Amino acid sequence: MSTTAATRPVGVDIQESETNRSVVEAIEATNEGCTVQHMPGLVRITAPGRLVVTRESVEERLGREWETHEFQLAIVSYFGHIKEWDDDEIVIAWDH
Amino acid sequence: MAVNSIGTYDFPSRSRQELYGDDQLVHVWFQENMWFCASACFRAPKAMTWGDFWNGLLVPYAEEDPDFDPGARRVWTLHGEVIEPRDDQTLEEIGVEHKDVIGMRVLA
Amino acid sequence: MTIAPKAPRKLTMKQRYEALTRDLDWEPSYVETSEVFPYTEFEGIKIHDWSKWEDPFRLTVDAYTKYQAEKDKRLYAVLDGFAQSQGHLSLTEASYLNAMKLFLQGVTPLEYQAHRNFAYLARHLNGPGPRFAALCQSIDEMRHTQTEIHTLSNYNKYYGGFHNYLEQHDRVWYLSVPKSFFDDALTAGPFEFLIAIGFSFEYLLTNLLFVPFMSGASFNGDLPTMTFGFSAQSDESRHMTLGLEAIKFLLEQDEANVPIVQAWIDKWFWRGYRVTALVAQMLDYMLPRKVMSWKEAFELYFEEQMLGGLFQDLAFYGITPPKHVEHAIAEKEVLSHQVYWTLYQFSHAAAFTTTFPDAEAQSWLSDNYPGTFDKLYKPLWDKEARNLEAGGRHFVRGLPQLCQVCQIPMLFTEPDDPTTICQRHSEYRGEKFQTCSDGCQWIFEREPEKYVQAWLPVHQIYQGNCGGPTVPDVLAWYGIQEGDGGEYKGSLDAAHWARWHDAADHSHIGSEA
Ligand SMILES: [Fe+2]
Ligand SMILES: [Fe+2]
Ligand SMILES: [Zn+2]
Repeated sequence: MSTTAATRPVGVDIQESETNRSVVEAIEATNEGCTVQHMPGLVRITAPGRLVVTRESVEERLGREWETHEFQLAIVSYFGHIKEWDDDEIVIAWDH
Repeated sequence: MAVNSIGTYDFPSRSRQELYGDDQLVHVWFQENMWFCASACFRAPKAMTWGDFWNGLLVPYAEEDPDFDPGARRVWTLHGEVIEPRDDQTLEEIGVEHKDVIGMRVLA
Repeated sequence: MTIAPKAPRKLTMKQRYEALTRDLDWEPSYVETSEVFPYTEFEGIKIHDWSKWEDPFRLTVDAYTKYQAEKDKRLYAVLDGFAQSQGHLSLTEASYLNAMKLFLQGVTPLEYQAHRNFAYLARHLNGPGPRFAALCQSIDEMRHTQTEIHTLSNYNKYYGGFHNYLEQHDRVWYLSVPKSFFDDALTAGPFEFLIAIGFSFEYLLTNLLFVPFMSGASFNGDLPTMTFGFSAQSDESRHMTLGLEAIKFLLEQDEANVPIVQAWIDKWFWRGYRVTALVAQMLDYMLPRKVMSWKEAFELYFEEQMLGGLFQDLAFYGITPPKHVEHAIAEKEVLSHQVYWTLYQFSHAAAFTTTFPDAEAQSWLSDNYPGTFDKLYKPLWDKEARNLEAGGRHFVRGLPQLCQVCQIPMLFTEPDDPTTICQRHSEYRGEKFQTCSDGCQWIFEREPEKYVQAWLPVHQIYQGNCGGPTVPDVLAWYGIQEGDGGEYKGSLDAAHWARWHDAADHSHIGSEA
C-alpha cells in the first residue's frame, strides 16, 4: 500500500473536557473533511493529509485569549509530524 | 556484529554451568499439551538417574494436569533426535547438557 | 464576539526559543568538542550539523513551568476529591485494580529510569535544541513517576499488591520483563537510547502501552488514574515529537546512519512489542468492563497509524517496517490468551490476582476472537472449570523456562501454528541459550555478549540468590504478602470489596486493610 503525504490521514487525540470542547469545535471548523470520533475520555480528530489548529478560531469559541502553548493541556497523542507550532497556528502533517 | 561500547566489553554469562556446581538446568517442553503454558525449568544433578528425574521432579510437576497419566507411552527428544532413556541412566549418560531442552510428547 | 487586542509581545515564540537554545550555546575554545561530548561518536552515527535539530514545540522555561504547574494543579484537585469521597468504592470491581498493580509495579519504575536517561541526554547531546527537549522530558518523567505513585497510593490504603512495587520491580519474575527491556536501553549509547525509547517506545508503541490503561481506567470508574494518565500523556506528545525528530534528524544527517538506525528500529520494535504482551492480556482479561480488544487496538494504533502512516513517511529515507513485524501481526489473534493463561497459572507468585473468565467474559472473547478463542482457548478454560469443580485450581508447581532476551516464560507459539511452543536455540562460547521467537533470537545473536548477562529470575532462584529454595522463601524475598496474589475469588480484596458494598454501615471502611 502506498499513499501520499497529501492524503494519508493525520490525527490528534484530545482529552475530553469543558475547555477542550471549544478546541475540538475550532479544529472541526478549520479542517474541512475531518472526522471526529469519541472514545473513552477522549476525542479523536483525523483529517486527510493535514490538520491545523489556529489560535484565532479557538479564541473565537473560547471567548478569551488562548496561547497555542495551551494546546499542550489538551493533546493526549497524535499521529503525523508536527510541522509548525508558532504563536498563531499548529500544523500536523506528514513530510513525505 | 558486536556491541558498540566505550570500553572493553567482556562479561561472563550469568547462567554458566559452574554457578550450579554439580547440577545443571534442564528444560522440559510439554509438546501437544497446552495445559502447561510454557516449558518447565528444573535444576538437577548431572548424575541424577532418569528414574529419579522422572519420579522426583517431572511427575510432581506434571501431575498438576488432571489428565496426567504417568503410564502413558511417551516420545522423548533431545537435540532434535528421539531418545529412549532408561531409568538407571544418568542425565549425563543420556547426553543431557546444561540448559538443554527435552521434548516430551504423549503418544495417542 | 470580539477580543481585546493583545499587548504586543516583545519576542515571538520562535525568537524566544532561539534565544534560549542557540544563543545560550557556545563553541568550546580551550578543549576539544569531543572532550565536552565524549559519547556521541562511538556508536558510528555521523552528525554534521546539530543546529538542524529543532524542537517544533519551541518550549521555553517560562512556558514549560507554567503549563506543567497547571497540569499538576488539575490532577491534585481530582485526587483530593477522590480521597474525600471514598472514590475507590465506585470502581467497577476490585479486580480492576490488578491492571493498576501491574502498572505501578511494571511501568512507574520505568518512568524514573526514563527520567535518568533523559537527564544524561540533556547533558551529553551536542545540540542545544535536543538538549533542552531532553531536559524537559527528564523533568516530565520525574513528574510522571511522582504523580503515578501519589495517585495509586490512594488504593494502597485499601487493597493488596501496591505496597512494595519498587523492590518488586527489581526482583519479581514477570517484572523482569519491563525492567530488563529498559536496562537494555539504558546501557546502550545515547543514539540507540533515542531510537529505543524516544522513537520505538514513545512513538511507535506509546498508544498501545498507555492509552489502553487510561481508557480502561475511564471505563472502570477510576477517575484519578484517568486524570494522571491524560496528564502524563499530554507530555507524551512532546516525547513522541522528540523521538520522531531524532529519527528524522539522524536519517537526514548522513546516509551511513540509515542502516544503523534501521537495525535499531528492528531491534527495539520487537523488544517493545514483547513488553506490550502484558498490556494485551490486561485489555482482554483483567478489565471487568472491556474497552476494546487487543486485536482491535493493535490494528488501529499499530497497523493503521504506524505501518500505514509513519512507515510510509519514513520510506522516503529508505527505512522499511521493522523486521519480524509480520510475526507480531500474526500473533494478534493469540497473544492475549496465551499470556493470560500463563499469568493465571503463575499468579500465586505474583503481586496481582487472576481469576477464571466467567461466561460473559468468555462470550466477549469469542465474539472478539472468532477465529481462535472457541477453538484453542475455550477448551482449556472448560477443562479448568472441571478442575475447579473438583476442588482444584491450576497453579503451576514449579518454574518456567524463560526467553534469554525478553525474559517472558517460553509461552509463545510458532507463527504458523498456535499449538506448538516456539523454541529457538543459539550457542555462544559453548553455552546454550533459548529464545521465544525469531525476533528475540535475532536480537540475541546480534549482541550475544550483552544478553548472556541477563538476570533471569528463574536462574537466579536456582542459584540461590532469591531468598531461599522454597516458594515461600522466594515470595518473602519478593515482599509478597497474604492478599497480594493468587486467585481473586475469595481473596482479601474480594472479601473487603463485598463487605464495603453490602454493609449498611460504612463507618468501618478501610479499617481492615
Ligand atoms: Fe512518562
Ligand atoms: Fe514519556
Ligand atoms: Zn523472547
